[in-house]
Amino acid sequence: MEIPPLLIQFGGSIIAILAIYLLARAMGLGTTPKLTDEAAVQHAANEVKDGFSPVRIAIARGGAAALARDVDGQIMVIKRHGNQFVGRVLTRSAKVCEVVDAIEIDPRETQFGTVRLSIVDPGYWADAINRL
Amino acid sequence: MPDFSPTQYAVPFFVIAVLIEMVWSRLRAPDAYEPMDTLVSLCLGLGSTAAGALFGGFALYVFIAAYEYRLFDFGAEWWSVWWAWPLCFVLDDLKYYWVHRAGHRIRWMWAAHVNHHSSQHYNLSTALRQTWTGSFTFGILFALPLILLGFHPAMIAIAGGFNLIYQFWIHTEAIDRMPRWFEAVMNTPSHHRVHHATNPRYLDRNYAGVFIIWDKMFGTFEAERTDEPIRYGIIKQLGSFNLIWSVFHEWIGMVGDIVQSPWRHKLSYLLREPGWSHDGSRETSDTIRARWIARRSSTNPVADRNPIAADHEAA
Ligand SMILES: [Zn+2]
Ligand SMILES: [Zn+2]
Repeated sequence: MEIPPLLIQFGGSIIAILAIYLLARAMGLGTTPKLTDEAAVQHAANEVKDGFSPVRIAIARGGAAALARDVDGQIMVIKRHGNQFVGRVLTRSAKVCEVVDAIEIDPRETQFGTVRLSIVDPGYWADAINRL
Repeated sequence: MPDFSPTQYAVPFFVIAVLIEMVWSRLRAPDAYEPMDTLVSLCLGLGSTAAGALFGGFALYVFIAAYEYRLFDFGAEWWSVWWAWPLCFVLDDLKYYWVHRAGHRIRWMWAAHVNHHSSQHYNLSTALRQTWTGSFTFGILFALPLILLGFHPAMIAIAGGFNLIYQFWIHTEAIDRMPRWFEAVMNTPSHHRVHHATNPRYLDRNYAGVFIIWDKMFGTFEAERTDEPIRYGIIKQLGSFNLIWSVFHEWIGMVGDIVQSPWRHKLSYLLREPGWSHDGSRETSDTIRARWIARRSSTNPVADRNPIAADHEAA
């Protein structure tokens, strides 16, 4: 049986793509940024929603995620995605649950995923999110 | 009839250029690349060529049919009319400007174009994030005037191929500014970075393909400013590296909105700008920019009139 040349080309392209991906990893491209202080969270929050200015912030241990609340009571969850940060302003459909030493927040947004935050005052945030 | 696809020959150069930029990134800007992001971008590029081969036939059929109704005839040996080539290239670039502008201002078109913008990075691999679903929009209609003018579909396809190749190299942060005269006429890395930005100032600007003059002519030009660092991507960043989601998320969202909305608003969810909603609960690039302008002038009334004062706004 003869393999159609287009299929060979397609297969070759997939192999080349994987090789570039593995090379990028081997070269150590892409750092692991951390939310180290409130200014960093403020910056990230303003990138998620222009003009969002937090009045209360909780940074997860390790700096991979954070919660921010503005004066209107809007709550934003921020998570690391690759070497960038992404976030969502939570709506009423967001789900929150307290686990051993952290809270898990599911903004109920397709493909965004659940964010786990190990923070000092999980109760405050869980309450606030449940009251949205 | 010449059977020639310029993009196919360009692929090895694309790969080499990406590798060179990866080395640059390693030495100078480690955040310019993220391996997973690059993987998704490259897969989008490959998938786009496959989708083009599978679904491009319909457009070709329409073009060949429309060619029968051409107003001017370049003759049986149309490819030997040398001046038709540069003319076709410039007019095709004008066509590109309007297709691209529609791609940002009409949600149906945006559903197909968004995956070019959904990376939070801006590097040469981003250039390869081409659409899979362009055949399912009315983008082909924009080429009809050229065909009716008498340009053969193959000539337009070749011009479009070179247009796409040109746009590859401008997807980089490694080049700051080109010489002044070049920046004035041509689309450049600096101009196109603005196009990929989500900063309110930069939203829906610089639609150009090859010549930036179209944006200047039609009022959509915005220069990159050194005091406003760019953040790349889309208003609602995906937060996921799922390839299939990055291809279809806007289609899924749009169809969902059309199904759920009242009858008199259904068409608006198809044809109005991305982010439009019948109850005003969402944000469009216009509302985001308006709020940003209002905030800026309330916090610093001088900033709008005095660009020097604006430099210190962040402090
Ligand atoms: Zn675009
Ligand atoms: Zn682009």
